Amino acid sequence: MNTVTMESPKDLPKRKSRMQKIVKEITRKKVTLISSIFIMILIIAAIIGPWITPYNPAAPDYSNILSPPSLAHIFGTDAYGRDIFSRILAGTQISLSVSVSAVLIGAVIGTILGLVSGFFGKLVDKLIMRVCDVLFAFPDIILAIGIVAILGPGLRNVVIAVAFFSVPSFARLVRGTTLEVKEQLFVESARSMGASRRRIIFKHIFPETLPSIMVYFTMSIGTTILAAASLSFLGLGADPSTPDWGAMLSTSRDYIGSAFHVVFFPGLIIFLTVLSFNVFGDGLREILDPKLKD
Amino acid sequence: MKKSILFMLVLVVGIILAACGGDYDELEAETGSDEGESNDGQNEITVAIEQNFVTMDPHDASDTVSIFGLKSMYESLVTFDEDGEIVPALAEEYDVSEDGLEYHFKLREGVTFHSGEAFNAETVQANYERIMSGNLSAERNFQYIDSVETDGDYDITFNLTEPFSAMLNKFTMVPMTSVQSIEEETVGSEPDGTGTFKFVEWQQGTTLTVEKFDEYWDEGSTNVDTLTFQPVAENGSRVAMLQTGEADFIYPLPQQNASDLENEEGILVEESPSSIARYVSINTYKDPYTDLKVRQAMNHAIDQETFIQVVKNGFGNPLDSTMASETQYYESQEMYEYDVEKARQLLEEAGYADGFEAEIWGNNSSESIKGMEFVQQQLAEVGIDVEVKSMEEGTLSDEIYTPETPDDAKVQMWYVSWSPSSRDADGATRSLFSNEYFPPNGANTAYYDNEEVTEWIKEANLTTDESEQQEIYSNIQSTVYQDAPWLFLASDTNLAGRSEALEGVYVGPDGSVIVKNAQVK
Amino acid sequence: MRILNLIPLLIIVSFVVFMFVHIIPGDPARLLAGQDATREEVELARSVLNLDKPLLQQYFIYMSGLFVGDLGFSIKSGASVAQIISDRILPSLGLTFASIVWATVVGMLIGILSATFRNRWPDQLGMLTAISGISLPNFWVGLVIIQIFSVQLGWFPTGGAGSWQSYIMPSFALGAGIMAIIARFTRSSLVESLKQDYIRTGRSKGLGKGSIVFGHALKNSLIPVITVTGLQFGFLLGGSVVVETVFSFPGLGTLLIDSIQFRDYPVIQALILLFALQFILVNFIVDIIYGFVNPKIRYD
Repeated sequence: MNTVTMESPKDLPKRKSRMQKIVKEITRKKVTLISSIFIMILIIAAIIGPWITPYNPAAPDYSNILSPPSLAHIFGTDAYGRDIFSRILAGTQISLSVSVSAVLIGAVIGTILGLVSGFFGKLVDKLIMRVCDVLFAFPDIILAIGIVAILGPGLRNVVIAVAFFSVPSFARLVRGTTLEVKEQLFVESARSMGASRRRIIFKHIFPETLPSIMVYFTMSIGTTILAAASLSFLGLGADPSTPDWGAMLSTSRDYIGSAFHVVFFPGLIIFLTVLSFNVFGDGLREILDPKLKD
Repeated sequence: MKKSILFMLVLVVGIILAACGGDYDELEAETGSDEGESNDGQNEITVAIEQNFVTMDPHDASDTVSIFGLKSMYESLVTFDEDGEIVPALAEEYDVSEDGLEYHFKLREGVTFHSGEAFNAETVQANYERIMSGNLSAERNFQYIDSVETDGDYDITFNLTEPFSAMLNKFTMVPMTSVQSIEEETVGSEPDGTGTFKFVEWQQGTTLTVEKFDEYWDEGSTNVDTLTFQPVAENGSRVAMLQTGEADFIYPLPQQNASDLENEEGILVEESPSSIARYVSINTYKDPYTDLKVRQAMNHAIDQETFIQVVKNGFGNPLDSTMASETQYYESQEMYEYDVEKARQLLEEAGYADGFEAEIWGNNSSESIKGMEFVQQQLAEVGIDVEVKSMEEGTLSDEIYTPETPDDAKVQMWYVSWSPSSRDADGATRSLFSNEYFPPNGANTAYYDNEEVTEWIKEANLTTDESEQQEIYSNIQSTVYQDAPWLFLASDTNLAGRSEALEGVYVGPDGSVIVKNAQVK
Repeated sequence: MRILNLIPLLIIVSFVVFMFVHIIPGDPARLLAGQDATREEVELARSVLNLDKPLLQQYFIYMSGLFVGDLGFSIKSGASVAQIISDRILPSLGLTFASIVWATVVGMLIGILSATFRNRWPDQLGMLTAISGISLPNFWVGLVIIQIFSVQLGWFPTGGAGSWQSYIMPSFALGAGIMAIIARFTRSSLVESLKQDYIRTGRSKGLGKGSIVFGHALKNSLIPVITVTGLQFGFLLGGSVVVETVFSFPGLGTLLIDSIQFRDYPVIQALILLFALQFILVNFIVDIIYGFVNPKIRYD
């Protein structure tokens, strides 16, 4: 908590060196490094994946269904004879963009609500927090089913549904930090110097909430991938023919006893991805969270 | 320090409590019941099914699962045997008048209810009155019945308002409950029937437990003392239960597990034909599906054999009519041959040489999703770009049945199946193809509008002459099949798994699990 | 006083829930009447269920029942909602409790180990284990452990709630995520405590590491851990839908899914209200503890 007060708004140029420091810290810890490399690979796969698949991920081959991993198909083929490796590669883009965009929407809305709630306090705060309570009190799955039922199935609506229930978490998180930061001296002084409220919120308070937002953002990507997969499990996710990882996993689950590879590889890739984002987020927390600084 | 010790202590106590919370005796029963027999010589079996029971009111059950659950405890005047023939049950014999307006039943004597009450004509009369008092789904079966006359204790006659060809089938759908339960209004809560098993317990939405009824009129029908129906929605879990011996019979058995289970010791895979027709209804009111050529092209684009191989793991038969082979008056038609070239040509003639964009709807079961994906892949071959939309059942049913007119309907293709609950041709035709049964009035979701067919359906009902009926239904099937309001896919093969030690339990063509003659070896 | 404040919140929740549930497309009358029902049959079912009345009127009918403790009757089975829920609540509570207990014990152990050996291999291993727990889709974990422990090894029943063994696998699948959260929380709050001045003093006085960790630091980090445990408990009861489905566990989660599928409004409403109520209560208690620990932040 002490480091927060150490930095004054005048230190803005220091941000850049802070970035470098973060990168240095990341490379220092092995697990964090490995996870960040894996995330890099995922991002590259997401960008060029669809163009470098060894097979057409959508082309069925009914004469070659459920064949186990081999040299020709390193992850085997699925119930329609499609190459699983190609599908996973092509699906990286879909799966990552669904979760990143959902978290992004949730984070932006949640952050704004949290800032407003924490800064203005009183009735506004009460109102926003009660709304969050109500949202929290709804089981996620009900919200998701409801939203998908109202908006119809499809990837876009999965994004909306998942974004919807990440809003209150971000709002609470940011509100908490805002409350702490608000009381700090430098904000008091900025206020006395006649800065506008908007300026105080975005120039002074927001930057201080950023580290925890970044940490939570990274970790939420993982949770969101899982949430989207759960929606697919309940048959409410993406068009099942898209190579979305969650959809692959849930449509293949009937084969768990007869063709394990069909279930295993999508599960493995989801696990590794979520794990990487979580480990990376954890590392980021170590670095960014002043509470844990020595 | 004290606080943390206290906390740890609480945890330890918690764990011990959690461990002791379970009943060790049940563990004994569990491991001991491997071959359907527990330690004290009692035969206990578990039947794992897919869906939950909805109701225990025999006159208000409209879903297959509730109906067959109730059939373990209740009987009707006539019933289907294993071969699908109508045979006497609570009635010893029956006859129908020439004009088809009078159905006379001679009731079986010496039948008692689980509560000890005797079964007689008065019982049937009371059941009839309860059903006609409204709000019960069984009323549908009696819609053509005008009145009932009893003659002594064991003779009863039903008078119809107009002839109805499927009337006898409908009598199989009306179980008889005791007069006492009707008077005390305990029908749904304390089932009291005449069946081989009597009610023990129904845990809302989960298991139904029944036990052997010792005074059953047909002695020795079963040697099972306690039978439990357990709904297990997840396919993999249901199979696992059979493998571990927790279940003695499972239905449905997922096709993809059939070949593995066949090789397993002590487990048998049972195949039986079904009356379930699997198809995609095509909204014939919507462009481009208004064009017969488009619909025929789509049918030519689907390889039914491959559908069965890929989606059904080889279990099933191509759907070569508007109804499955186990249905009354079924007649096979000349099938749409799988021919991509021909399909392309037909589409070109219809003005869709480049194909078009389409949408297919279905529920969110993994089975439906798999089928829809296959249809999507096949239609892609002829340039039709299909989007798969799987919806949760409640939403889907709303989307399909709410539109008031054909023009409001948004459905293009619906991946679905149909099984006439009493296996009659009327049930497999009227609601699906008569133009009086467009949603929300019925299930003609193809909005198939053919005046001739509608008239035939009415005619078939009015005649009691079987050969005449046969001819009419034959016309209906060939006309509808050529008009292609559906993508004809397959008729299901019912797959069940059972442990070798259990016999006499079978799956009827409509997907009912019949346990009446269950025998443990 | 604060408890009285909860009542308006609950009323708001009940209103939101009611409207939300009724706005979702789906018609229980149609589902009740069956696929081949005629329009008349559907209309009849609708009027019997009072579904043909204006929504607000339906809400008032519902609330007037609720105030006298009447949760109504299930549309699907006609049984009383209170009865249906009371049949299911015990297994659910048992599952939640079992999950929380093992998750807390294991989570705290990992947390303590990690904090004590901060940045050394036990820490990295422990945190990796913990994080793995929240990195797997829990339905996948469920299906895989059924394959391994029920089908292959035959150790546990595949599902249900018939004996205590049937609680083991679902509580494992359900608790893995919470274990991870508790482990991380214990670790960070312990690390912080270990830095406090008096701990340093203790160390300079020559107290052993074990006695510092267990005797002093842990005590200080317990309350936040209890807080987070409480919060997770709140999520669990409503959040076990997927795990309960995989293990066909007769709890509130599967009841919820069944009721949603059938649009069984009274049951869905009662369940969400129940979840909301316990969530709000847990939150309320947590808030008080929180305020107690950190008096600088007031939460009202």
